[in-house]
Amino acid sequence: MALNESPQSPPAPTQSRGTPMISVRGLTKRYDGFAALNGLDFAIARGEIVGFLGPNGAGKTTTMKILTAYLPQTDGEVIVDGLDVSQHSLEVRAKIGYLPESTPLYADMLVYDYLRHVGTLRGVPKGELGNRIRQVAAMCGLGDRIGQEIGTLSKGYKQRVGLAQALIHDPDILILDEPTSGLDPNQIVEIRNLIKTLGTNRTIILSTHNLPEVMATCNRILIIHKGRIVADGTAEALEQREAASQHLGLILERADLEAADVETELRRLQGATRVRCAETSADSLRFELESLRDTDLRPLVFALIVARGWRLLELRREQMDLEGLFRELTREV
Amino acid sequence: MKRSSLRNIGALARRELGFYFNSSVAYVVLIAFYAVSGAWLFLMDDPSTGLGFFEENHASMRRLLDAVPLFFVFLVPAISMRLLSEEKRTGTIELLASWPVSDAEIVLGKYLGGLGLVAVALVGTAPLTLLVGSLGELDVGAVVGGYLGLLLVGAAYLALGLMTSAWTKNQIVAYLLGALLAGAFYFVDSLGSALPGGADSVLGALSFRAHFQNFARGVVDLRDLVFYASFVVVALVVTSQSLSARGWKR
Repeated sequence: MALNESPQSPPAPTQSRGTPMISVRGLTKRYDGFAALNGLDFAIARGEIVGFLGPNGAGKTTTMKILTAYLPQTDGEVIVDGLDVSQHSLEVRAKIGYLPESTPLYADMLVYDYLRHVGTLRGVPKGELGNRIRQVAAMCGLGDRIGQEIGTLSKGYKQRVGLAQALIHDPDILILDEPTSGLDPNQIVEIRNLIKTLGTNRTIILSTHNLPEVMATCNRILIIHKGRIVADGTAEALEQREAASQHLGLILERADLEAADVETELRRLQGATRVRCAETSADSLRFELESLRDTDLRPLVFALIVARGWRLLELRREQMDLEGLFRELTREV
Repeated sequence: MKRSSLRNIGALARRELGFYFNSSVAYVVLIAFYAVSGAWLFLMDDPSTGLGFFEENHASMRRLLDAVPLFFVFLVPAISMRLLSEEKRTGTIELLASWPVSDAEIVLGKYLGGLGLVAVALVGTAPLTLLVGSLGELDVGAVVGGYLGLLLVGAAYLALGLMTSAWTKNQIVAYLLGALLAGAFYFVDSLGSALPGGADSVLGALSFRAHFQNFARGVVDLRDLVFYASFVVVALVVTSQSLSARGWKR
């Protein structure tokens, strides 16, 4: 297993190489006249970790329900590993592990019995089932809860049981609808790490409306809005494509500096489009600088600081751009 | 039938039976059934003769066998009501549907799980039968036929209840609709005599009560067997269709 492969490193191209694992063309879903999906097109290559990003009601869950053969589409085509979902629903379902949004589980069952039940229905051979349950329980950190009733578990552990059932048959494809919603920060980090580990040899689609989540786990992002794909690419590519400006944060030691004087000097820098003093405290001054996206102000700022003999506490580029892009693309008009 | 289908149906049936016995459902249903049955057999006067069990001076299960199909109208829908409606209410049906299990397997598995509890309820009345048998000479044929008839009546009610459970995410609605349909098919022959013409025989042919009479006398008629079997098949096919019509297929 290629565990040392960093899941974030390969810049996954939008156009996938070879036969895609999942291919969606013109996908449309209408509920009683309301169009939840409006001609979605995308292809996902084997081994990609793709994040569906979008505001609530954008069509993320509907897309996942169609991919897992729970809902039939109104129009369009969904091919999973060469099989049409509407023709070969059972075969497609066998290849996919699915975690629905609210993690619906049988509250009355013990964790072990539940995983055994799912494993049996998933066709895991009887002789291997016990081992397999131990494996997924260990993977999902369920070890000491295996004999507990599901209804008595915390939200975080229920989520792990949901993940474990999605993994019990070692599927090639994992579809996770909001896998970290409702978890505390520690649990979120754990689940993200688990997803990254799982992604080393699987195709994963996860949905979220949380930006840091896709940045942390996915190597490709599809932004969905009002049933359409409005952006598609790596986090870096999306940022570079769309970012209209660069933002710098600068903190200087206060000493006997006057905020207004420093501001005036910074304004004179070639390419600075906006400068403001954001914060003054007893011992420091914080400034925000903006420039056009192809202008890097950092060397100029550094030279100025050296020339004036100011004491630099911090200079950094702000990574606000994808969030800005997300808001820009999904703004209600 | 494929081996995987049998495996799936078995797993689903085991899960439902397990639920009944892990929760209080099985115990409430069984205790209610035995309490009503025992009281009816020993404490109540027979409506047709006006005599109590011991006044009749005749060891017979007949009065109980005749009454159980009516008890079942209220009892069996309590077994079936949750089978599909609860999956819909809690959303677990979405996971169930993501496993490679066909609608037919889901319906059959759940049906057999419920039928298991109906069978347990009937087997549990064996002590009553033995008690009555110890008091005098029992017509064994009538008892065996009667039990077979009760299992078939229960199976038919259960199929109706499973069908109504597929129609709603509310267990109470599923229960009431199931009991209403079961009662209607039980009593439908009494409607026949009130209607003119050939309605009598048509409605009689649809009635659970009419098809139960032979069994209670110890006569196993192929026509009665075919009636119950086809009734169950039709109700289960409708159940399966109702599931698929809610959006997902196969």
